[in-house]
Amino acid sequence: MSDPAVPIRVAAYGCVTPFGDACSTHAALVRGECALRAQPVLGGEDGDLVPLALMPGRSLDETAPPAWLESVRSLGASIFGHAWGAPGRPVFVTGSNFGVGGLYALRRTGDLKFAVWGAPPTCTEQLRLELGWGPDVSILTHACVSAHLGLIEASRAIETGIADEVLVLSFDFLSPFVTGGFHALKILNSDFPAPFRKGRAGAIGLGDGAAFAVLSRDRGDWLLSGQSLNNEMHHFTSNRGDGSGFARCLETVSAAARGRPVWFKGHGTGTLDAGRLEVGAASQLFPGAPIVGWKGSLGHTLGSCGLVELAIAVESMRSGRTPGTLGGAGEPLHETVALESFPNGAFDGVVCASNAFGGAHAAFLLSHA
Amino acid sequence: MLERYLQTVVTDDAPEGQPAAVRERLKGHFPPGAVRRMTTLGMLVGSALGELGPREEDAVVYASGYAESRTLEGFIDSFPTPSPTLFQTSIHPSAVQQLMIGRQLSVGEFLPLSGGSLLAFHALRAAFLAPAARVLLCGGEEKGTWLLEFGLASDRTFAFGAALTRERGVAPAARLQLRRGEGAGELALAAWFDLLNGRAGFSGFVAPGWQLDLEWL
Repeated sequence: MSDPAVPIRVAAYGCVTPFGDACSTHAALVRGECALRAQPVLGGEDGDLVPLALMPGRSLDETAPPAWLESVRSLGASIFGHAWGAPGRPVFVTGSNFGVGGLYALRRTGDLKFAVWGAPPTCTEQLRLELGWGPDVSILTHACVSAHLGLIEASRAIETGIADEVLVLSFDFLSPFVTGGFHALKILNSDFPAPFRKGRAGAIGLGDGAAFAVLSRDRGDWLLSGQSLNNEMHHFTSNRGDGSGFARCLETVSAAARGRPVWFKGHGTGTLDAGRLEVGAASQLFPGAPIVGWKGSLGHTLGSCGLVELAIAVESMRSGRTPGTLGGAGEPLHETVALESFPNGAFDGVVCASNAFGGAHAAFLLSHA
Repeated sequence: MLERYLQTVVTDDAPEGQPAAVRERLKGHFPPGAVRRMTTLGMLVGSALGELGPREEDAVVYASGYAESRTLEGFIDSFPTPSPTLFQTSIHPSAVQQLMIGRQLSVGEFLPLSGGSLLAFHALRAAFLAPAARVLLCGGEEKGTWLLEFGLASDRTFAFGAALTRERGVAPAARLQLRRGEGAGELALAAWFDLLNGRAGFSGFVAPGWQLDLEWL
């Protein structure tokens, strides 16, 4: 995708993670704290202990209304502006879970209170009413690149003049549905994730998270450019072994960076093959760029990771310090993997990348306006 | 005003109703080894999309409100020993991936949407905003069983695929125009399917502030 003729600015951003808001999350990551805790994979129904990062006080077991709703409400309350969802002010909601934990609970308990949160359309409609939005609320859901799709659609709405400002909101909160699924795939197990490190076997952690960004034509201190997508369609859960999907996606971002010094915020879930391929492509296309990944602390916030980590990336640039790669103790996959936090004043921007099932890749460049 | 031409339209209203019958009818569209793991929606959407001949430079916009409802039901019922296969294929947008992965067809841009009463409008808008010269707009639903009892699955089974271009071309099937205006309306996915399936014209509001004109040529 070529860069839009109209600059796309990030006018506002925010996130919530188990550490708190974007500022608190960034500070915790800089301090090297880990939000992941060993917890039963099926919540109250027990099972193996796996690394999960849940909102403070929240159980993995679903409630009705969902316990995560308060987190999204507070995030929503921090979004300035009005008339979201009205003509000319569209909202793009993204994620991969929505209220799917409600479906699991509905089937287990038969309690009808869970039903209304169970499917993406019904869950988003509840959220729309909660947050007082108008009807123009699109839902984009493509596993772990979902948030990037929202940013791309929002950018296009601005570029084509059908909107001056657009809200993108993403949320993913864990439930036995998703933890059980990843556990069945054997990539969520008792090991804690060690992104971008060598090891015998890979493992991921999962985390709660929600975030928003307001994109604007006219205001904002941060520019979004080089937005890129690539879908390998090679295998449901793995990538082509030559890394071509990563490279093709990042080539667009590399062109947008035009050789300027950047740091690289990778996807880095902790799976070995994907980590190796991502580091290989990033180090080739952005030579010397420090590579970081934060899922070793926050866990993988799934479809929302692109927006949660955008908020932390902006906070990093605003504060002048980038958190290092957290999790594990093995040797890094490449010399450019930054294990410690570092000052980022010498860099012009950050490349933010995410990947998903189906060999889906997404990335963008975030820089000072 | 945004304008596009519909070059090719494929629809399937799954007249058999039952998944086994749909599977039997469509199994020849897919490699024998792949059919066993495919969902009903995957076979329907995959057949429709496959007829459009997807290419890497196309953008693919996929719309389904409830997606793989039966697989989702099966996955939930597989607890406390959840099935990894059902987990994989229950994830939106599995229906399109089943075709594309089976054929090893990579694509640059793939935009999967969900939604309710405005889903068709949102999918059309996404298709109109995509910069690709050709956009493949596809979608569908599969009728659920126990999820349907709670209003969490479609009560119909159907699928469609349509190739949209900016250029008129030699023999377009229809012209689509989307423009801002004063008025309100909605266009759910099943209603959009019915327009395509019946080759029916349309002029009216499909969302607050948005009007659609569909003219068959």
